[in-house]
Amino acid sequence: MKHLSKLMAFTMSTITPLLASAGTWEGPLTGITSQIVTQGYQAYSASSKSLQDLSSALCASPSAQTLEAAKTAFKINAQDWQQVQWLNFGPVTYFMRYYAFEYWPDKKGVTQRQLRALAQGDPSIMDAPKFWTSASIAVRGLTAIESLLYHPDFTPVQSTSHCLLLEKITAHHAKSADAVFKQWQEGKAEDWVFDEEGMGFDPEKVALEQFLQQWLEHMSAVKDAKLETPIGYNGRENLKLAEFYRSNLSLKAIQKNVQTYREIYHTGSPSLFDLAKQSDANLAEQLEQQLTENTKLALQLPDDFFHGNYTKEQRFDLAQPLVKSISNSQSYLSSLVTKLGFQIGFNSRDGD
Amino acid sequence: MLSRRSFLLLSGALITTSSWAALSQQKTGETLYASAYSLDKNTHFFGLFNDEGTILWTAPLPDRAHAPVVHPNQSIIGIVGRRPGFFMDFFDVSSSQRIKRIEPSKDHHFYGHALFSADGTQLITQENYYPTGEGRIFIRDWPSGNILQSFNSNGIGPHESVFLNDQVLIIANGGLMTHPREDRDILNLDTMQPNVTYLSLKDGRILNQASHRDELHQLSIRHLDVNPKGTVALGFQYQGDIWDQVPLVALSRLEHPELDYLPMPEDIRIRFKQYCGSVCFDKSGDILAISTPRGGLVAYWHVDTKTFLGVENCRDVCGLVATSNAHEFLLTSGTGAQLKSNPVQNISKMVKNHTNIQWDNHFRHINI
Repeated sequence: MKHLSKLMAFTMSTITPLLASAGTWEGPLTGITSQIVTQGYQAYSASSKSLQDLSSALCASPSAQTLEAAKTAFKINAQDWQQVQWLNFGPVTYFMRYYAFEYWPDKKGVTQRQLRALAQGDPSIMDAPKFWTSASIAVRGLTAIESLLYHPDFTPVQSTSHCLLLEKITAHHAKSADAVFKQWQEGKAEDWVFDEEGMGFDPEKVALEQFLQQWLEHMSAVKDAKLETPIGYNGRENLKLAEFYRSNLSLKAIQKNVQTYREIYHTGSPSLFDLAKQSDANLAEQLEQQLTENTKLALQLPDDFFHGNYTKEQRFDLAQPLVKSISNSQSYLSSLVTKLGFQIGFNSRDGD
Repeated sequence: MLSRRSFLLLSGALITTSSWAALSQQKTGETLYASAYSLDKNTHFFGLFNDEGTILWTAPLPDRAHAPVVHPNQSIIGIVGRRPGFFMDFFDVSSSQRIKRIEPSKDHHFYGHALFSADGTQLITQENYYPTGEGRIFIRDWPSGNILQSFNSNGIGPHESVFLNDQVLIIANGGLMTHPREDRDILNLDTMQPNVTYLSLKDGRILNQASHRDELHQLSIRHLDVNPKGTVALGFQYQGDIWDQVPLVALSRLEHPELDYLPMPEDIRIRFKQYCGSVCFDKSGDILAISTPRGGLVAYWHVDTKTFLGVENCRDVCGLVATSNAHEFLLTSGTGAQLKSNPVQNISKMVKNHTNIQWDNHFRHINI
């Protein structure tokens, strides 16, 4: 290659991350895994069980009161889900559990259609050993449970078949939630990354990289799917596309999500925030302020933001500061993970 | 407008371009690969690297690019801007000069891929006529870049094409209607109809066209490769819901009107996240490799028996080429890895890990 080497002696400038030694990532990884994910699934598992129990109580003694108790249990469980929803990684990826926990957005009304079919069929099929592993994800989790409790097509107080369906689904849902919790309790994040041939494979770093990628993608989902899409920020308004619209949890879900973001940033010893300050104190602080701002702005939105009598323009104006703030958070987080030496999603998030 | 002086200079540069063979005689005859890459959001390059993964030549690019195109005789490599692409830059490796920029004609943009005819006298580009969304195939004269002929691609979004032979072009019409003023927003999600079209380059006739059944109409047919037996492999990108259970890889042939979907284990299919990156046969044509950057893996099949062979894990992997050895592939990733993988012998070896480089979607093997 005489000629080529004469043409170009290419030397790439080496960008050495400040933090690169083995064990660097243990603090945030262990902290987030233990305090956000495992504890989050523990709470989710417990509230899923409570939802199952109160659904059984509703079916044993159908009344407005027992229905209300089941609805309250649903709301607690759905909010617990928001704590862990950002992480589509690890045990929740088994058997499509992530999408089964919440089949959303259900733009075509698949859940209601399939629930109606199940309610009209032989209920004993739901007791078959492999029914739930092969059942549609649309009828396996919170979206289906919300429909049964809140959609006018379903009347669990009056209809035995609807209530039986609710019992079966909440039982499966509780079992799934508990399985994910137990797997997190017994394992660690590094168990869920795929070993790669080559130099210096660091499972802790790769696992944390997955966490960060999931966090970034969830920020996009909160901004786009949860906030912008239903209010028609870039198109036609369709409020029913908001998450858990029927149970009026759409705004609470967003508030919980942005609150969790700050917890992710500060959990562990050292935390991501601590490491970020060592790498780029200014950027670390910018992200910190933006995450705080997200929480403040989400809490400032009126409780009836999705259900109140607002024009599209009014909702747009109300949402705009939060949309911008989340967008800024994405930019800061994206820059920060690069500063920390992670390379996230060059092809996977921006391909063709 | 090109001045007469500029034109003469440019013509001179093109006429005096070395051949790959001449270049090879001056060197050790080592294998070369061409790829675009980025250092960060704003710093983009086109480069050549050797079998050891060492970068030997590099040129700055104005923006992130997509797929290289390699001239079969002259030591010229080109790189196509990513969709919506408005430039195609060509470089003479022997002089290290950019010798030509081809831009699409009015109201057209490139899709990120192009190819030279076997004799190197023509350049084929896939383009979007965005006022209507019609996919077009342009046959351009090389080196002038002038359009000699154009055909309807017989679909929307002709993303990549390959030659079946000198007379037949196989086109992956992805089906996505987009308009540059609306970035990459899909304008026909409910009506998209991707297909693979076998087009006669003599007269533009459709020799065969295969598409999905109606319920899979959102399964964009995006990348493809063909082996010496004429078997075409297709990689899909699904535009529907992430949880839908859809096939992601298929085989096709000129004489078969139907697509032949390849099986893979469900746990692997889920890891694809509905997205195939590059599609590539090995040198023998017996082994098919499909990359998925979203899944962080390359999956392999034995083509004749349609047997799924396994995966190579590699985060953000997308680039994929056959090496000079049967059953062996070279992989590149957005994390900077260059990895050799042989799924038949179950061998993988890191060639080099450029931790500060992000290899772009596709790269090409240069046969010197």
